[in-house]
Amino acid sequence: MSDLPWDLIWELFRYSILAALVAGLIAPLVGSFLLVRRTGFYGITLPQFAAAGIAFGFAILPWWEETFGGLMHPTEMGDDVHLALGYHLQWAGLFTLVGLAIMTWAARKKDGTETGVMAASFAVASSLTILFSQHSAEGDIFVTELLKGEILTLDFHEFEVLALCLGVVAVLLIAFRRELIQTSYDPELAAVLGRKRLLWEGLLILLIGTTVAASVMTVGPIVLFGLLVIPPLAARPFARSMTSFLVLSSGFGLLSAAAGIWTSFHYDWPLGPSIVVTAALGLVPAKFVRKA
Amino acid sequence: MSASSAPLVSVRGAQLGYRGQSILRDVHLEIEPGAFLGIFGPNGAGKTTLFRGLLGLIKPMAGTIARRDPRLSIGYVPQLETLDAAWPLSVTEVLLMGAHGRVSASDKREAHAHLKRVGLGDRAKALFASLSGGQRQRVLIARALMGAPELLCLDEPTSGVDQPNKAEIMSLLASINQQANGPAILMVAHELEWLEECAKGALWVQGGTVRRLAEDEIRQGAHSLFGEVAR
Repeated sequence: MSDLPWDLIWELFRYSILAALVAGLIAPLVGSFLLVRRTGFYGITLPQFAAAGIAFGFAILPWWEETFGGLMHPTEMGDDVHLALGYHLQWAGLFTLVGLAIMTWAARKKDGTETGVMAASFAVASSLTILFSQHSAEGDIFVTELLKGEILTLDFHEFEVLALCLGVVAVLLIAFRRELIQTSYDPELAAVLGRKRLLWEGLLILLIGTTVAASVMTVGPIVLFGLLVIPPLAARPFARSMTSFLVLSSGFGLLSAAAGIWTSFHYDWPLGPSIVVTAALGLVPAKFVRKA
Repeated sequence: MSASSAPLVSVRGAQLGYRGQSILRDVHLEIEPGAFLGIFGPNGAGKTTLFRGLLGLIKPMAGTIARRDPRLSIGYVPQLETLDAAWPLSVTEVLLMGAHGRVSASDKREAHAHLKRVGLGDRAKALFASLSGGQRQRVLIARALMGAPELLCLDEPTSGVDQPNKAEIMSLLASINQQANGPAILMVAHELEWLEECAKGALWVQGGTVRRLAEDEIRQGAHSLFGEVAR
């Protein structure tokens, strides 16, 4: 058990705690769409693409710095944190969008290979993460910590990026939920009613990509895996409408993050895995609820 | 011809298909206000292709498919099995998908009025996926009535529904069609017996062509046509 008092924990780790709570609140909203669209596997594969993107960013950093200038070496990140975060976020986002494009292409082929393509993509993205990390010692440390779910060292700027990105995602997802639900659930009706299907599909892909890229950069793939998929799974049997499903998923996510934070500090466990394991406990009551 | 009696949809020499491959050729037809037309024919003949062409979901490779008004209001009922039961949607949420534009309070009132009309006024808060096949089909018909459509298009509304519910659905469609200013109805159908009771005409799709059958032709000759297909 940890001997640290809670006021000291808050003082030292408040941005990590806040980041976990924000991710717990908002990532399940995006995950709810992945689950009902039967694309829950994206929740595992896409964060791995984002991690590969971050590792790639570290690997080419010396070349980038030499060619374009203006960016500090990773060891001097503190000099211009926003620039450095933006640099790595762009690679995480780009790789996530490439991953989304591959999976969307596989889904549209409808030849039964979608799951295989996703599994292969996961394996390739994981391998690329390791290979790219080999080219940068700093990148290797950064990515290894992300993959282990070590998120205690987050500072204000990293929290700021996460809160800003996920805040925008939440606002757009809630404001346009009806259009996003309609084009996903009944795309032909949307077309008959003159809705711009490509626009809404594109927006949803962008929201998924932003959530994955910003979350992997800060709270890491393990926490994101868990928060995208587990809270919506736990909420599904209790939901009596799509609106209640989104609210319950988000609520379960927030509760999981809070319980994970408490467990982590109380038992001195790593924060990321603690959040995922406590989130999984939410699946137990869900098992006892009759499915619709 | 007055504007109100002009055809809702006019098809002139249309060629329909997918990815450059033609399935239906030289289609000529009109859908008049108040019509009740069934689209039927053997499996793979192009019923769905014609239906999708009339809905504007695919563009003709040649010829034209013109609407009386580009803003012609169309109600659409998809095949039930195309809607994924994994979505935890309430009946009200499904109904409001049929609203044009942002949902207003009057849309909600209209949705509940249509739900009452199809006999499910007490199921507004139920999970759509928990209803029986016949009930879900009636919810989809209520949804298609949102915004008072001039043309109601249904894709096999009686498939996967038991016999008593089939009769109820066809009787409901007939009453919707016969009401004052009721919408024209266009439905893809497999079972001719239900069409005989309600339809005022039919589109027989076979061999890459579409032939229009009048009401009496359905009653007199369609059984033999259908028999040919069955053999």
